[in-house]
Amino acid sequence: MFVASRIAIAVSIIILIFIPQFASNYVIYVVILAMLFAILTASYDLLTGYTGPLSFCHAAFYGLGAYTSALLTLRTGMSFWQAFPITGIWVFLFAAAVGYPALKIRGHYFAVTTFFFGHFVYLFLLNSRKLTNGPLGLRGIRPPDSILGIDFSSITASYYLVLFFGVLIVGFLHLLVKSRIGRSLVSIRENEDLAESIGINTSFYKVLAFSISAGLAGLAGSLFAHFFRFLHPTDFAWMISEMIVIMALVGGLGTLFGPIIGAGVVKFFLELVRPAPELRFILLSIMLILVLLFEPKGLVGIIRRIRGEK
Amino acid sequence: MDTLLLQIGNGLIIGSIYALVALGINVIWSIADVPDFSQGAIFVVSAYISYFAVTLAKIPYVLALVLGMCVGSFMAFIFERFLYRRWRGAGRVQLLCAIALFFLWTNVVNALWTAKAKMFPAYLKGSMFGFSYMRIAVVVVAAILFVLVYLFIMKTKIGKAIRAASQESEAAQVLGININTVNSVVFMLGGALSGAAGVLVSPLYAIFPTMGDLPLLKALVVVILGGFGTVGGVLICGLGLGVLETLGAGYLSSAYQHGYAFVILIIVLTFLPKGLFGKV
Repeated sequence: MFVASRIAIAVSIIILIFIPQFASNYVIYVVILAMLFAILTASYDLLTGYTGPLSFCHAAFYGLGAYTSALLTLRTGMSFWQAFPITGIWVFLFAAAVGYPALKIRGHYFAVTTFFFGHFVYLFLLNSRKLTNGPLGLRGIRPPDSILGIDFSSITASYYLVLFFGVLIVGFLHLLVKSRIGRSLVSIRENEDLAESIGINTSFYKVLAFSISAGLAGLAGSLFAHFFRFLHPTDFAWMISEMIVIMALVGGLGTLFGPIIGAGVVKFFLELVRPAPELRFILLSIMLILVLLFEPKGLVGIIRRIRGEK
Repeated sequence: MDTLLLQIGNGLIIGSIYALVALGINVIWSIADVPDFSQGAIFVVSAYISYFAVTLAKIPYVLALVLGMCVGSFMAFIFERFLYRRWRGAGRVQLLCAIALFFLWTNVVNALWTAKAKMFPAYLKGSMFGFSYMRIAVVVVAAILFVLVYLFIMKTKIGKAIRAASQESEAAQVLGININTVNSVVFMLGGALSGAAGVLVSPLYAIFPTMGDLPLLKALVVVILGGFGTVGGVLICGLGLGVLETLGAGYLSSAYQHGYAFVILIIVLTFLPKGLFGKV
């Protein structure tokens, strides 16, 4: 990695650390959501950007994580600190079970199937009234219990909690894509048959990437549940999956940090049209079409072009 | 009237809508290699335009149907000419673009005419065997359109070119078939069918911006299950899905009426990852 990129990352983390010191609660709130979406887009990038399969159901895993974590704490009296890892593992295993048959499907079929899966999860959340309280939404979720004397019911504490796990997750993803596993994933993206022929167990690695990506989305969901403390199925409908795809593409797929930048930039533009919420998705789809037309590699592609790399 | 028969009848009615949308998507998918999500938006926009034509301009319903088909055709033509055509061969970009268009137009409709459902005025009164004439009209018009499309693909010269291009695109071009023309024609055909489906379904339910979502998803399932290139396969799968879904809603759980298609899709694709007919 270039020195400039390292400096950029360090500076952004420092800025993120100091934001709550001077920003208003509204800004902190928006940045928390942007960071949650950054976790989602970064984990989405592992599957679609690095491994290849185009998926449209990331919000489904986000929602599963959010509801799992909320219900674990509400129904069993678990604390957030117990529910958080359990949620991650459960969504990981669930995705492995779904992904194993689904990833045998290739190309457009897989994309359409994930689209359906996302809708199916949404229907499940909406209709299982006894479990999820359906369209009325799930209330009364507790903030994480205080540890080390930090009270997590305040917005600033939530901010640092999300930032902490966000940096941890992105760091993990960075190590993962630089590792042998990451190189195997890229080889699958570039040419699946060739990867198979040189002895890479492609179906194993695809399921692995799918499950890790889903598990991390589940963790983001858990953080969201205990920060926002109210869950509604529409927060995890297919539009949200679509939003994750657009954020990742705007940033630049297959670059890990691109999708994170994308999440921030898109969230910023969405906040500009906050007074007119019906324009949000119009803006998003126009952004997607513009990216496809002019710079399929996204913002990272633009940065690279300015710096004169290929 | 027996409830079971009534439900099968309703299943066939909604199934013929799925089959209409699926037929267009099927032809487009087999020629242009893109699951054209934007047909879902065309479905909605045509329904709204014909609604305004009927309520504001007071034109007769039959003309509104034709208008809806023209609007659908035109939109699909524009999408193909100015967007999909740039990325021929890059299926992933086309798919993303299709989804963006679907997303864009549903939300444009939402912004222009609000999410509030509008009631399409009834154009026919009375009923037969427990089905209103309007419901029967859906099946009749769908059947006519199916026959016309079948004749178009099997009997006309351009239909022959479409069939050739769907089997072997490059060889077809070598033989002098203009692939651009073929693409334009299939997109316009698809748009017209989706437009017709949108206008046909609106008097039965209400019209609202997200009315295209479910028919689109069901049509995609029908295309994947029904195989490519066969008008009959699409018809059977479309009607079959409509009936299964209505029966499932009646006898199992109505909450999951729109989930059955997914369950069927997963079961079939688990055992036959390339769909029932194994192309692509």
